[in-house]
Parts: sequence; structure tokens; C-alpha cells
Amino acid sequence: MLRNIVGSTAFRLCVIVAGFTCFAYGTSVNKITDFVIFCIYVMGFDLLYGRMGRISFGHMLYLGAGAYGAALCAKYLIADPFCAILMGILFGILVGIILGPIVVKTKGAAFALINVAFNQIGYFVVLVAAARYTGGEDGVSLHFASYGFINFANLHFLFAFCLACLVLVYYLTQRLSRSAFGAVLTGIKENEIRVRFLGYNTLFYKWVTFVLSTSISALAGSLFTINYGYANPSFIDPTRNVEVIFAALIGGPGTELGPVVGGTAYMVISNYLAKYITRWELFLGAALLIIAFRFRKGLVGYLAEFAARKRNPEKARG
Amino acid sequence: MLEVIAYGLTIGGILYIISIGFSLTFGSMRIVNFAHGLVYAVGAYAVFAILPFTHGNFLIAAILAVIASLPVSYVIERFVIRRLYGKSIDYAIIASYAVLLMGVDLIKWIWGASPVPLSDPIGRNLAIFSFELPLYRVVIILLSFCIFIGLSLFFKRTIIGKIVIAGLQDREAVQSLGISIDKYFAIVFLLGSALASLGGALYSPISSVHPYMGFRVVTLCFAVVIVGGLGNLRGTAIAAYVLGMVMALTAWFWGPAADAMIFAVMAVVLIFRPIEL
Repeated sequence: MLRNIVGSTAFRLCVIVAGFTCFAYGTSVNKITDFVIFCIYVMGFDLLYGRMGRISFGHMLYLGAGAYGAALCAKYLIADPFCAILMGILFGILVGIILGPIVVKTKGAAFALINVAFNQIGYFVVLVAAARYTGGEDGVSLHFASYGFINFANLHFLFAFCLACLVLVYYLTQRLSRSAFGAVLTGIKENEIRVRFLGYNTLFYKWVTFVLSTSISALAGSLFTINYGYANPSFIDPTRNVEVIFAALIGGPGTELGPVVGGTAYMVISNYLAKYITRWELFLGAALLIIAFRFRKGLVGYLAEFAARKRNPEKARG
Repeated sequence: MLEVIAYGLTIGGILYIISIGFSLTFGSMRIVNFAHGLVYAVGAYAVFAILPFTHGNFLIAAILAVIASLPVSYVIERFVIRRLYGKSIDYAIIASYAVLLMGVDLIKWIWGASPVPLSDPIGRNLAIFSFELPLYRVVIILLSFCIFIGLSLFFKRTIIGKIVIAGLQDREAVQSLGISIDKYFAIVFLLGSALASLGGALYSPISSVHPYMGFRVVTLCFAVVIVGGLGNLRGTAIAAYVLGMVMALTAWFWGPAADAMIFAVMAVVLIFRPIEL
């Protein structure tokens, strides 16, 4: 009975919401809003890597698509925050639909680098080609309209809104991975040729998953834009891709809580420990090496293994 | 126009020298070796560091830079690539990325984050018809052709080259002949890395030397390999020169678009090539 409750998605969601709320009001609401948005981004990334086994080294492109979609909408169309978010997601979906057929044909190393290549094209577009609209290196600063208590400039409302988005995305990805669709994705991860023999059009499944991943990342991007009140090229910078990879890996790729734990862990390290770490990239690289060699299951996988060994020492050893 | 062609051949030659090692690891093991970009950057920075000691003699500095990069590539091959290869391709990529990241930060630590200046080592121009070409670029073009011919002979005539070519086509068949193919791939890995650092050393005077140069070159190499075909060394050579031309032509019209154009070409090739990678 107790285990059923503890293992249910609803209980875990309550723990996540309560955890973030305590964290936010214990430290700084503004900062923790960043944490929450980053976790949404990691979920989008992990949908591709953890569920489908395709690692993208250029996911900043999809974050940037959402960020600039929202920014351009607010700057040139209307300053309504909901329209901006919708426009950001739309940008993400569009990028996913256009790039999808090229990207999902590949796997492994080729998949990783094709995303980097497109990310560099996107960076170039934002920085140089469309600089008249995106503001080039300076970016665009924005102001959003507010309606009564729906005021995105209010820290508490913004935090609650981002947390609600996190809950929604978490619930959707859970439903997805437990559905028949999720089973096909796991099949593609394990052995794609066999799934195709069963009669599934794997290209279509991969494309849909890719578009879902890009649109979740774009949602995170548009939330970042609203949170900061501006969009600049650092939202699409290809050299920042290591952040989300690191977060997904340290949390535990392909696990239910992995993206949230990993995203929070990364943000805690980069916000609170970066002061003491003078060589930041050296630290990240060394940590990634340790993960790649010794710590592949991530925090969540490691804890689950530890719990299983405690509960049943004989079985775990055998 | 002759200038554009010469610039294209220079960039193409450099791209060829760098991407041959990348093409070998990608073709044989399906691993994107991000650390290849680090070796390239080490080549460029080593020239910068050694140049004062050789009293400005660029040739000796370049040779010493290639020698200095060999231990780096040996460590990468022995302790990262070989230990992870066969277990998980994903983690091999992540680990090589981690190595590049650490290397970039070490370079920033030692030499600072801002680009370091290097000047044209020859500094004289060659007059062909009515055009003036920097002699240094002509030297690079000739050198890249020499390396192309030398590598073609190496892969056609020597036993190591033949084993590697056979291994690219069918790894298991070569292994079943009792040949430990990893050893031969390790040898050509070192050769490819040495060429990458040579490319870095040669390119440093005519491009900017900055810590993140390795990231950029890895994606360029990848585009070359995709356009040229996986495990196809002649295709790599042709693609390198063609993409060099594309870069020079694009830069002639609109400078900042050169890199983006290469990736656009790569995307078009991927659309029309039905093979799965």
C-alpha cells in the first residue's frame, strides 16, 4: 500500500513541487525559477537521449528557437506573454519538423554532430544574418503586458507558472513513456532494425519524438526569455551544449526523476559552487570523464540500485 | 578570381590534412573524436609557444609542435578511446568531448582566453600574371598535395595501409584473418592526430588562434566526412577541396556566412544520400 503511493507519479510530482517551493522560499525565488526552467529543458533533452537513445550535442538550437520565437513575437507582434510562449513553442515545432527528416535518419555519432552543425547555422542566423531583427550580439530586451494578477513581472506568479509547466511536461513525458508509443521508443533504443521488422515505421516515430523534444526545449527557451526579460545569443550558443548533457547524465538518463534531479544538481553546482571552482570547464570535463567511466547510471540510478541492495541484499548480489 | 581559387585550395588543403585522421576514426569505429579538435588547437598553440625559442624559424617550430602533440594524442587514444570503444559509443563520444572541454580550459589557463597573434612566416607575395598571392598559401597548397600523394601511396602500397583500408570495409573479416586490427588503427590514429596538429600549426598564421578553435574544426571535419562518404578516404580528400572552395566563394560574397554555408551543403548531401549512418 505504502509502496504503491510512494511509487506513483502523483506522489513524486507532489514531492517535486514541495521540494522546489521550499527551496525557492528558503533561498531566492528568482534563482529557483531558473532551476525549474532548466529542468524542463533537461526533460526535453532526455526524451531524445534517455528514451530513444539519440544523444544530441546541439540542443541549444531548440532552446534558442523558443527563446527567439518568444522574443520576436513580443517585440514585433504583441507583448502578450502567452502569445510569446505559444510562438516560442511554434518555432520549436517548426524547427523540429524542418530538420527532423534530415536529423533522425542518423544515429550515434552522426546524430550528435548534425545537431551541432545546425546549431552553428542557427547561431550564425541569430548573430549575423538576422541581426536586424534579433539585435545581433546585444540581443533584444522585452517588456510583457500584464492582466491583473497574471503578471509575469511578479516573481511569485512566474515561479508558480514555471512550476506548473514543469508538472505538465513531467506528466506528459511520463504518460508518453508508459504508453505503447513509449514502448516503441524503447525498442528503437535497443534495436531499431527489429522494431522495423515488426512493421513499425520507425522514421515516423523518431520524427515525432524529435519534434516533441524540440518543442519542450523551446518551451523552456521561451520561459527563459520571459524570466530574464531579454533574449541574447547566449541562449543559442553551441559551446553551451555541455550543460544539458552533463545535467542529463548526472541525473540518470532514461529514468523518471533523472532530468529533474540532474537539472537541479547542475544548477546547484553552477550557481553555488562555481565561486569555489576557478577552472569551470576543466571541472565539467573531469566530471564528465568520471561519469563516462564510473557513474553511468547517474544519481537516480545509483540511488535505486542502493535501495534495491538494502531491501534485498542476496538478489542484488546475484 | 584566381585569388578566390587559391584561397579555396588553401582552406581545402588544410581541411584535408586535418580531417583525414577524423575520417579514419569515424569510419572505423563510428566514434566522433572531439579530442581531434584539441590536438589541432595544441598544434597551433605549440607553434606560438615554440616560435620565440627557434628565433622565428617557423619550419622548425611547426615540426616541434607536431612532435609535442604526439604524447597528447597517445594519451587520448590509449586511455579514453580504446578503453571505451566497444563498450558504448555514446560514452566514448561524451568522454572525447570531455577531453576537448578540459583541453580548452587548460589552454585558457595557460595562454588566456583572447586570441593570440601569429604573423605570416614568409611574408612575401608571389606574382602570377597580374595577381599577387601570399607565398605562404602556395606552400600550403603544394604541401597538402604532397601529403595527399604520400597518403595515397601509404594506403595503397604499405601493408599497414592495406590492412586499415580493408578494416574500414569489413572489420570482422580482417580480424578473422588473425590480424589485431586495433593495433593498426592505433598507428593510423597517431598519424591522423599528427596531421591534425600539423594542420593547426600551418593554419595558425592565416587564421585566428583562440581556445575554442577546436570546437569549430571538429564540426568542419564532420561536414567533410559526411560529404565525402563514411570510410571513404578518397571521398574525404575530394570533399575537403570542394568544401574549401565553397568556403572561399561564400567568404568572397559574404564573409561571416562561410561556415554556415558548409553545413548547408552537408544538409543537402544528407537529404539526397539515402544511406543510414
